[in-house]
Formats: sequence, C-alpha cells, structure tokens
Amino acid sequence: MAAVAVPAAGVLHPRAASFTVEARAVERRIGFLFAATGIVLIAVMGVLGLVMRLDQATVISISPAWFYRILTLHGAGMIVACVLAGMGGVWYVLHASVPLRVGWMLASYALILAGVVAVLVATLIGGFGAAYTFLPPLPFYPAGQWSMWAVAVFLVGYLLVGAGFMVFCIDVLERTTTRYGGLLRTLGWQYLRGREETAPPPQAIAATVVAIDGLLASVVGSTLLIGLLGHTYAGSAQVDVQVAINLDYFFMHSVANLTIYLAAAVIYVLVPRYAGRPYQTTKVFVAGWTGSLVFIATAYSHHLYMDFVQPAWADVVSETVSYAALIPVAVITIYSMTMLVWGSRYQWTLASTLLYIGFAGWAIGGTGAVIDSIIPFNFRLHNTAWVVAHFHTYLILCVVVWAAAFLAHLLERDAGRSSSRAGRAWTVALILVGGYGLTGTWFVEGILGVPRRYAIQPPGTSGYSLVGSCFGLVLAAGFLSLFVQLALLARDARRRRQSGPVQRQGPDESRHEPVALRVTNGPARVDLPWLGRRSVPLRTPGQLGFAAAACVVGLAAFFPEVVHASETGVRYTHLDNAGVFFFGAMLGLLVGSLPAVSGWLGDRPTLGMATVIAASTLMMLFMVPSIYQHFERHPLVYEYYLVHNAAFGLLAGLGATRLGLVAGRLMFVLSVGMPVMFAAAMK
Amino acid sequence: MRRVGGVRTMPLRASWGRGVSLRYGDPQIALGIVFAVLAGLLAGAFVVIGVQAGSEVSEERVHRVGYWLRRRWLVLLVVVGVLVVGISLFDLPFASGGPDGRMVVKVVGGQFFWSLSPDRVPVGTRVRFDVTSIDVIHGFGLYDPRGHLVGSVQALPGYTNALDLTVSEAGVYRIRCLELCGVGHSSMQNTFTVTGR
Repeated sequence: MAAVAVPAAGVLHPRAASFTVEARAVERRIGFLFAATGIVLIAVMGVLGLVMRLDQATVISISPAWFYRILTLHGAGMIVACVLAGMGGVWYVLHASVPLRVGWMLASYALILAGVVAVLVATLIGGFGAAYTFLPPLPFYPAGQWSMWAVAVFLVGYLLVGAGFMVFCIDVLERTTTRYGGLLRTLGWQYLRGREETAPPPQAIAATVVAIDGLLASVVGSTLLIGLLGHTYAGSAQVDVQVAINLDYFFMHSVANLTIYLAAAVIYVLVPRYAGRPYQTTKVFVAGWTGSLVFIATAYSHHLYMDFVQPAWADVVSETVSYAALIPVAVITIYSMTMLVWGSRYQWTLASTLLYIGFAGWAIGGTGAVIDSIIPFNFRLHNTAWVVAHFHTYLILCVVVWAAAFLAHLLERDAGRSSSRAGRAWTVALILVGGYGLTGTWFVEGILGVPRRYAIQPPGTSGYSLVGSCFGLVLAAGFLSLFVQLALLARDARRRRQSGPVQRQGPDESRHEPVALRVTNGPARVDLPWLGRRSVPLRTPGQLGFAAAACVVGLAAFFPEVVHASETGVRYTHLDNAGVFFFGAMLGLLVGSLPAVSGWLGDRPTLGMATVIAASTLMMLFMVPSIYQHFERHPLVYEYYLVHNAAFGLLAGLGATRLGLVAGRLMFVLSVGMPVMFAAAMK
Repeated sequence: MRRVGGVRTMPLRASWGRGVSLRYGDPQIALGIVFAVLAGLLAGAFVVIGVQAGSEVSEERVHRVGYWLRRRWLVLLVVVGVLVVGISLFDLPFASGGPDGRMVVKVVGGQFFWSLSPDRVPVGTRVRFDVTSIDVIHGFGLYDPRGHLVGSVQALPGYTNALDLTVSEAGVYRIRCLELCGVGHSSMQNTFTVTGR
C-alpha cells in the first residue's frame, strides 16, 4: 500500500505553502489527542449503534432494558466524541493567530473524560436508559430499571462534560476577543460596517460564535442539570416540565448543532490547503456567521412543535429561524468551499477526500432537517425514523467524516504521504454506500411513520432494519478500512519522526519562535504579547457608576417586605435568591473592575474562570429546596443564608473580572441568569 | 400497487409482512419525493464539482461564475423559504379556543398505557383530543387503519394539549407512543375505533 502512496510533496497543494502557517508540536499533539479520543469513542459508539439496529432487525436479541441503556450511551457518547474532535480541530486551526492555553485545554479534556466515565457507569452499571436527551421527568420514573444514584451519576457526568466544554468556550472567547480588541471586532462587525479594513480570519470568527453559543448552552444545561440533581437528592425540587424541556432542548439541540459548527471552523483552514486557494473573511461571511450566532441559539424550539402548550408564535419564530439557519450554511460555508475546490487541481488525499464528501453530508442531511422543521411536515414526521435519518446523515457523513479528515490531515502531514489511491477509493466508497444506505432506510421508515427509539419495531417493519443493518455493516467496513489507513499513516509518521526531523512543506514545525510567513487570511503567529493588556468588564467611570446604581437596586432583594412576599411560592423564593445573587455579583464586578483592586487581584484568568463556575454551581445547589429549607428554621439563620448567597454572587462577580472585557461580561450575565432560570424551572 | 377500501395504495410495506401502506395523496409521499429529488440534485452537483476539481480553472473565472451563481442561489433559497414558511402558516396543527362542537376525547398517557374516553366515534366526526400524561412525557401518535401516521401531539404531565382532527376513515386506529418514556415505550399502544355510520 505504501508503495503506491501519494508522495510527500503531494500531500498539500503546491500553492498552499504560501499561506499555511505551521503548527508547533504542542498544538499538533493536543489536536491529535482530542481528535484521536473522539474517533475512538465514535468507533465504540458506532458499534453500539449497529448492535441496536441488528436488534431491531431481530438478527440478535437484547432486552429492551439494555436497548435503552445502549441508546442512552450511544447518543451521549457520540455527541461528546464529536465535540471532542471539534475542540481539537479548533485548537489546531486557531494556533496561527490565537493560541489557546494548554492547561485549560487539558483541564477541559480531563473534565469531559471524567464525565464520559460517569455516563458509562450510570448506563452500564446503573442501568440508566432515559436517552441522551434525559427529558424530565423521565429520569425520575425509572419503571424499575435504574436507581436514583444512577440518575445522579448521569447528571454529574453531564455537568462535568458541560463544565469541560465551558472551560474551552471561555478560553476561546477570552483569547479571541482580547486578540482582536473586543467582541465587535472579533465578530467582524467593525469590518462589516466599513470602519476597519481587515477582519479576523474565518476560523477565529467561527470559533468565537461557537464559543458564545456553547457558553449559553452549557450554562442553560448546567442550570437544568443542577435542578434535577437537587431532585435526586430528596425528590423535593418540583420541576415545571414545560420550562424544563425548553432548557433541555436548548442545551442538547445547541450542543449537538455546535458539533457541526465546530467542524466548520476547522474546514475553513484545511480545505484551502488542498485547493491551494486561501479563504478570506468577507462581509458576506461576517453577515452569515452573525446570522448563525442567532440561529443556533434560537432554533431549538422546533423540538417542541408538537407540544401545543408552547406559544404558537415561538413555534413560528423557530420555524423561520430553522429555515434561515440553512442560508449561511448553503450560501457561504458549503458554497464557498465548493468554489475553492472547483477547478483548483484539488489534491485528492485521504483527508481532502473526506473533507469534500462531508459537504454533501451536511447539505443532504440539512435538507432532511429543514423539511422536518416545517411545522405541518413535522406534524407528520415528528419522532419518526425521519429524525434519526436526517441527523445521522449530517453526523456520520459530515461531522464524523470531518473528524476523521482532521486526524488524517495531521497524520498525512507527519507521515509525508497520503494513503494509496485504491485504499482511499475503497474507504470512501464503503462509507458513502454504507452511510447513505443506512440513513436511506431510516428516511423510508420515516415516510412510513415508523416511530424512533423502539426497542421492538412495529410489526412488519423489521425488514427495513435488516436492510439498514446490512448497510450499517458496509459502513462499519468503511470505517475499519479508514482506521487501517490511519494506522498505516501513524506508523509511517512515527518512523519518520524516529529517523530525523520532519521535513514539511513550509517551515519547520519544531520552531517555537514566531514565524515570518505570508498569511492572507490573518496575521502570522505571535507569541502572545497582547495578553498582558487584558481589560476588565467595567472600564469607564460611567460603567462603574451604572454598576453602583444596579447594586443599590439589587439591595431590594434583602428588604424584609420583599423577602416575606417571596415566600408565597418556591418560584418566587428562588427569584428573590437570584436577586440576592445578582446584588453580590454586581458588587463583585464593580469592585473587581476598580483599577486598584484589579491590580491587586492580578492577572489570574484560571482562578477567575474556576471561581465563576464554582460559585454559580454552589449557589444553585443551595437553592435546592431540601437544602435551603434547613436555613428557614430561624429568621437569623435565613438572614445568614441570604448573605451567603450574596457572597457566592460576589465571588462570581470578582471571578468574572479576571476574564477580560467580553468573556467577563458574558460570564457575569450568564452566572446571574443561572439562578433566574433555575427559579423559572421550579413550581 | 393494491387497493385498500377502494383506494389505490403504494406497496411500500414490501414483502415482509404486516406493515403500512401509503396512499398517493398522503403528505409523507410528497415529502419523500421532494427530499429524494433535492438529495439527488445535491449529490449530482457535488459529483460534477468533484470531477472538475482536478482541472485548472482561473480564479478570475471561479469568482465570476461563482459569485454570479451565488446571488441567484441566495435569491432562490430566500424565495423558497418565504413561500414554504408562509404557506405552512395556513396548515398549523395547533388547536385553539374551545372545542367548538367537536367531540372531546380525553386521552391520558402513562407508563405504559393509553387511556381514551370515549374510545369509539362515528366516521366523519370532528374530534378534539385532549391529551395529557400522569407521569412522564409521552407522544400521542395516531395511525389510521392503513397504518399511516395521521399526526402526533405530545402528552405532558401537568398540561393538556388539544389536537383537532376529523376522522374520515372507518376502522381501527392505532395509538403509538412517539416519545421515549421508559423501558416499555415500544409496547405502549392502544386502539381507537371509528365506526361506520
């Protein structure tokens, strides 16, 4: 196979050397670590998926209890795997202009892996089987299948994954906005308005959008998870199902959706390397990603169309937004990438071929998704196999394929070659035939109204599962072939490293000092001189004055009359607690932004990030009725409870000031939003 | 092709036993055809561009042709979007207001059963299904006697969702749960009989 492999000079397009900035060893290693972990998880979860399909086809037999455990693990594992691979890719492609912190990245990795272990324990040992969406209140109605400890472990696992993703998002947001001088510049809005000549490179804009929406999703998810965790503690937190499923779908839809947008940030850098044409930020690009920023965060409600209690206007907005989300994808990302490829003497390697077929997966899967997002169509397709079909199309045939492409890109660069033409052809053909065949049977079942998530298929429909299983086996063969190609590349890369310094197109990757390259879509790498100029969230006397006024208003939460009035219901009590937290957080933001205090606190973003997350989380845990009821026994103790909540807020506010202007402000707003949402979800 | 109750149906159930049959007029058929055509067009476009990727086309030509086409592509997507979303607003399934002369059928979902009261109505009746749950979220999926999914609505604990339908075909309708509700999800079924006049 190696004898007919593409030679080293042909791995990238000859023209790519003029705009490709090489990664340092640490950047490649971290990228590889995340992508390889993601791919291994994807392989394991893929096997579990095949097991379920074979069970539906009655080829093998597993009990419904195990079917739903596997279903839960498969869904959660796949989403986490795709997020991990995407994070590694973003880390890698951002390096040229915005290097992220190694420590934060590794902390994020550790948190996510710990979360994966918890989900494994909850499902395989604890028997938890409420699906990866864990729609409340299902976790608390186990029908004899799992214990409350399994629910708690599952929720803690998700919290850890959410925290890991949050750390990554804060890092991206803080670094990009500091690097480019504020949010408006980072998102390219100043460029869009004609106030600046240049804009950040595409991958930086995309990563910032993902970070903002990722933070929103993580915070909303954490709020729900902590609320449910309180329920497992004593069963005393009565969650409003309608609010809870809104929070749930906001969290799960956004994270699942972000897997593809994370990958999109990566392809903006990788595809040009094979097409030999640089990809630059344009005004259309900026406008499109601004749209995506809004659409990603607002489209989730299409999961709730068939919940008629949801206001009709919300459904119509969601329908419009869901369709609108297609436009930046179809008109900018996929279209622009195919423009780059067309007539470029595209270098067909394993990585570049996988990148290319991913466009089709996104476009075709996205078409199925848009059809499902139209309300009258959803009425006839809701929760049928059509849903399974469309998201598996863009997950398997785009996100997973792009994760593999990223890994192949790293290995090809290190090995100095690609896999053989025949190997590539077989791999891609098997993936395409198996992938579209597998999802095709689900599309047909969806048209027939076959429900999804059935351990036992409706009579007469297991034949479709059988056909799907056959295609699933073909797909598995394709991925097996892919892993063989990757393993061979990894072997050659290791041999090459052992035999001496790796020669690449472009400069030597082992250099750690800034490299002088012509970069057409962003500045060359600089070694962080800008990080010393971190700003605080409140910069002007006016802003400080406004914060002081807001603190005075927040004091109202302590007034005995307000506290007394809030005791008419759990929801109002929590709103008052949220007000107390707001007061503390605003005070912390104000004090921490004062130049003297800020100088004394020093440049401690890691401590700031940890403080914001920990203080907000602890605050919400103390809002669990079975915990705070202990404080209601004596008025004096309750006063202490209020002060203690304000102290959590103070810590969150102070922590936020260590995260810079944009990330600090956003984390302040989100940390206050958590107890408010928590209050709304209670009844 | 075969005939069920005098209506032409597509043999989509193929040869593996008791399945479902769709009528040519069923919306799902149109959706399937539209999707297949769009997916085919997209796949074709990617094949063509992929084949031409190996050739050399000047950047000037790429920009000229690409941007010319992109503007039209954008306009097409916007026009289609406005039309589809606009037309969809005339066919929203959400019930509003009182039953307005409809026969009210109380539907309660629970792990793992459906309770309907009444569970029998005459053909042609305008029915309002008031759907709720006593425990977790369920999905009320109504399948007509041919096994075709008429529509669905969620059953939420603490809330009642109203679904208005006119049952125009006599026979035994099947209710299946369409939202994962626990280990017995796939066996959570009941029937609803529409009698001839």
